[in-house]
Amino acid sequence: MSSGELVLPLVAFLLAPVAGGLLCGIDRRLTARMQGRIGPPILQPFYDFFKLWGKDTLVTTRENLVWAWGYLLLTMVAVFMFFFQQDLLIIFFVLAFAGACLIFGAFSVRSPYSHLGANREILQMLAYEPILLLAAVAIFLKTGTFMITGVFEFGEPLLPYLPLAFVAVLVALGIKMRKSPFDIAASEHAHQEIVRGVYTEYSGRHLALIKLTHWFEIVLILGFIALFWAQPLWIGVVLALGMFVLELLIDNISARLRWAWMLGVSWVVGVGFIMANMVLIYLAGGAIRV
Amino acid sequence: MMGLITRSRVKSPWIVHYCCGGCNGCDIEILACLTPLYDVERFGMLNIGNPKHADILVVTGPVNNRNARVLKTLYDQIPNPKVVMAVGTCASSGGVFHNCYNTLGGIDKVIPVDVYIPGCAVRPEAIIDGVVLALDKLNLKKRTKVG
Amino acid sequence: MGVESLVAILVIMPFAAALLAFGVKDARVIKPLVISSMLVLMVASVMLLMRVVEAGPIALSPGHLWDNLILVLDFALLAYFLYVGFTSKHPLILALAGIQAVMLPVLKFFILPSGLKVQPVLYIDLLSVIMTLVISIIGGLIIIYALDYMRDHEAHLKLDHTRQHVFFFFMVAFLGAMNGLVFANSLLWLFFFWEVTTLCSFHLIRHDLNAEAIGNALRALWMNLLGGAALVLGMILLWQAGETLSIQDLTGFGTVGAALLLPLALFCFTGFTKAAQVPFQSWLLGAMVAPTPVSALLHSSTMVKAGVYLVLRLAPAYEGTQLSVAIAVFGAFVFMVTSIVAISQHNAKRVLAYSTISNLGLIVCCAGINSDLAIAAAIALIVFHAISKGVLFLVVGTIEQRIESRDIEDMEGLVAKLPLLSGIAMLGMITMLFVPFGVLFGKWASIQAAAVPFSAWFPLVVGFLAVGSATTMVYWTKWIGRMISLVSFERGAVVEPKSFLSYSTILLMVAGAVVLSVFVAPLVNILITPAESTMGYAKAFETAGWHLRSAFGLFTPWPLFIAVALALLLPALLVRVKSDQYREAYLCGGNVPGAEVPSFYSLADQSVKIRTGSAYWESLFGERSLTNWINGAAVILLLVLFVGVFV
Repeated sequence: MSSGELVLPLVAFLLAPVAGGLLCGIDRRLTARMQGRIGPPILQPFYDFFKLWGKDTLVTTRENLVWAWGYLLLTMVAVFMFFFQQDLLIIFFVLAFAGACLIFGAFSVRSPYSHLGANREILQMLAYEPILLLAAVAIFLKTGTFMITGVFEFGEPLLPYLPLAFVAVLVALGIKMRKSPFDIAASEHAHQEIVRGVYTEYSGRHLALIKLTHWFEIVLILGFIALFWAQPLWIGVVLALGMFVLELLIDNISARLRWAWMLGVSWVVGVGFIMANMVLIYLAGGAIRV
Repeated sequence: MMGLITRSRVKSPWIVHYCCGGCNGCDIEILACLTPLYDVERFGMLNIGNPKHADILVVTGPVNNRNARVLKTLYDQIPNPKVVMAVGTCASSGGVFHNCYNTLGGIDKVIPVDVYIPGCAVRPEAIIDGVVLALDKLNLKKRTKVG
Repeated sequence: MGVESLVAILVIMPFAAALLAFGVKDARVIKPLVISSMLVLMVASVMLLMRVVEAGPIALSPGHLWDNLILVLDFALLAYFLYVGFTSKHPLILALAGIQAVMLPVLKFFILPSGLKVQPVLYIDLLSVIMTLVISIIGGLIIIYALDYMRDHEAHLKLDHTRQHVFFFFMVAFLGAMNGLVFANSLLWLFFFWEVTTLCSFHLIRHDLNAEAIGNALRALWMNLLGGAALVLGMILLWQAGETLSIQDLTGFGTVGAALLLPLALFCFTGFTKAAQVPFQSWLLGAMVAPTPVSALLHSSTMVKAGVYLVLRLAPAYEGTQLSVAIAVFGAFVFMVTSIVAISQHNAKRVLAYSTISNLGLIVCCAGINSDLAIAAAIALIVFHAISKGVLFLVVGTIEQRIESRDIEDMEGLVAKLPLLSGIAMLGMITMLFVPFGVLFGKWASIQAAAVPFSAWFPLVVGFLAVGSATTMVYWTKWIGRMISLVSFERGAVVEPKSFLSYSTILLMVAGAVVLSVFVAPLVNILITPAESTMGYAKAFETAGWHLRSAFGLFTPWPLFIAVALALLLPALLVRVKSDQYREAYLCGGNVPGAEVPSFYSLADQSVKIRTGSAYWESLFGERSLTNWINGAAVILLLVLFVGVFV
């Protein structure tokens, strides 16, 4: 492995939270503009982060904090593996472990709001997990490997072959970004009936950790979307950013909907679309051969 | 690092709002601050709805025997550093409910107040002014412990 | 020690020990007897492993006397089943045992030439040895655990006369039968041991002799007899089509003709009944009335594994056929639907039962996919699932004895009451559920294997697997969430009553589950890859150092273990909280200060406790509404499987 292969992913990994924070800032600015407001500065998420870091942490149970760290660190492991172009399935498994830590954290306090959020967060995982796994399989059908390196060695953009899988991944993106209509576990905007769902009992420094994790998550999932157009990569990045803006638009024109609806959408539009895409690839004879 | 935190603190005030039982006039004015006309999110301000996430406790209405303990609990559940704003005449001094048999008067009878904003109902501009004042006070406060 | 004596120790010794235990009845004798025979069994299985690794597969053919003995015992067993059917007035049992009692003599005396000797009778390759290791070591630990458990169990039931000798008779004899089953190459011998496991299962399920136990035992009996009948029918058809009753011959044919597919389909069907695949799941769910060690031994780690073992053993025979594809679709379907239904279950043992069926479905699916990678995944899953699920059954059984409930909702906040037990339970679940543990390694390999277009139906299979993986996560996560839900930050000292045998066996097994996962690469190198190659499959994994590289991906257990340990253990050790940082949970400011369970002020200053719980989403995943649909779909898939044989 040359030093370039080692340094570039490392730099990307270190810049990931910065990019994630900036994206959240853009999100808040754009959302404000769509609502006819001016909105906060782009750097606002960083102000929030540092402010929270400098506050006291109030604790309901110690375990709550332990799981928050687990959530952050495991997500970082997943992002790290992503930039080092590891096995997509393993990355998603690690991401699932990280997501479960958030759920366990919320369950480890006997608080009605965080339990409500945790139960719903489980449903969110149930909704996006099969989509991510199947999307990895769909990519595998073209590239012949689950390693991300294979996407770059494939030499062609994947999107023309995987349009339906791409749409399905957008559903997963919406759920993972916790945006309307999928913000059922922790209402995206505070001051709603479930308070902040899974996040309710966190405060101060540990709330900051959760924000940081969220930035990592956004970078990971947008990075995954960029893989659909990895040749040349800049198109993929633009594509991912475009999809990010699309999610913001959807967020602003829709309300939070019910969990059963979310499951329906993710299993029909998500799983169904990817399976249809696989059948198409298979029929067109473009699938890898045994 | 401390400088960064102090600078961030004034740029990211999150408020939790509690109405002790006034006429709701002030509450509506608080919500008006969030509308596009005043758009307090310009200053990073968010109505967060959860004391554990908040920096500023915004209270309207006169405190009474029933809700004094709720107000106290909410105050205790806000992590330091924090400031309290009494919004409106009722919250500041009891207002028209002054000496009423069922009220205790202004909220400073129950919790320490940093900023009083008079008015019946208060104007959004006054609230925003009050927040700016509160932010100055916020940075004078210390964290009580390392979390 | 000779191979013959090793095999005798593994197969015959348990029967002898069981008879002895049955005869003496005295718990003071049974305990040392059982412990020592289990230790001998474990040592013998490891010696057999070394033997086979060194010298390759072992073929043995005991004399004619043994053949005749087996035949006589066959008829004795069938006569006993008829007797059970007669006394319990169960027409299905009567009919199914009757069919076998007719077909078996027809096969033996009219179809088979007299004096036929299937060569070899026993064939012990690495796959058999892996099964023996699972049976002897995990099964042995479970039986040792049962010694203390049964004492408490009988004390709880307040029995006049101890029935432990009956219990241990069937438990210990069962291990011998299982070892015989996995060694048998002659289908006639396999049939005998198969029926013995059915018998043991029947008696162990009805052990408590209450109405529910007896009813469920009868249901288990008829469903397993159905499999036995299919096995005999399959043998008749197999002899007529291929003139053999040797599994080695059958798998050595290469691609088989259509005439051989029907007996193969029947054998797989037999495997499905034993592995409680949908639509036969109800016997395994009903079997949960039995004492916990029974559930752990028969219904998670070993007996149900006999079903998938048979399907897997025959995999080379049906490689590349439509039957194989049908098996893959069927297995994946079972994997998904049972894990969906498990979401709606409150009852801890039912969740474990559904999860067992689900994982067996995954193994069946891998056997059906029938590629190098899939077979490796199947073998890995057998090993890892057996150990993790064994832990879970034992720990849940012990928890049940402590809290006198098996409802998951009653386990709320258990980590504060029983920290050691619930810690082990959580670790057991995590080994079932998350990367980098062994079960996930199997799941990773199986999804990769399913992703290869092995047939036009592969999108269905991989879709089922992906949805099933997600639903699996749901029920485990909910359960862990219940146990860790903590109320107060001030916890008093907990006194957890610990009995040595129970706790030491559980701890050994959970440690084994973790250690085995860490050493997955050597395990693959030493056991799984050679086991595969004796079955005629190519190597599925390149091991570079500790990494496992399949043709399509890379699994790096050690870095992942280090990362997960750092991510979870470091915070657990380092996070410090001072007492003045504690605040109660947010209840809109209405908290009642100092309440034991978080409470809020309600009307007239009443203090009302908050109530939290898991969601079960019965409207969507309810057992009652789904079971009929699932069974219907499974019957259709089985029909497709049989019809496909003729197409």
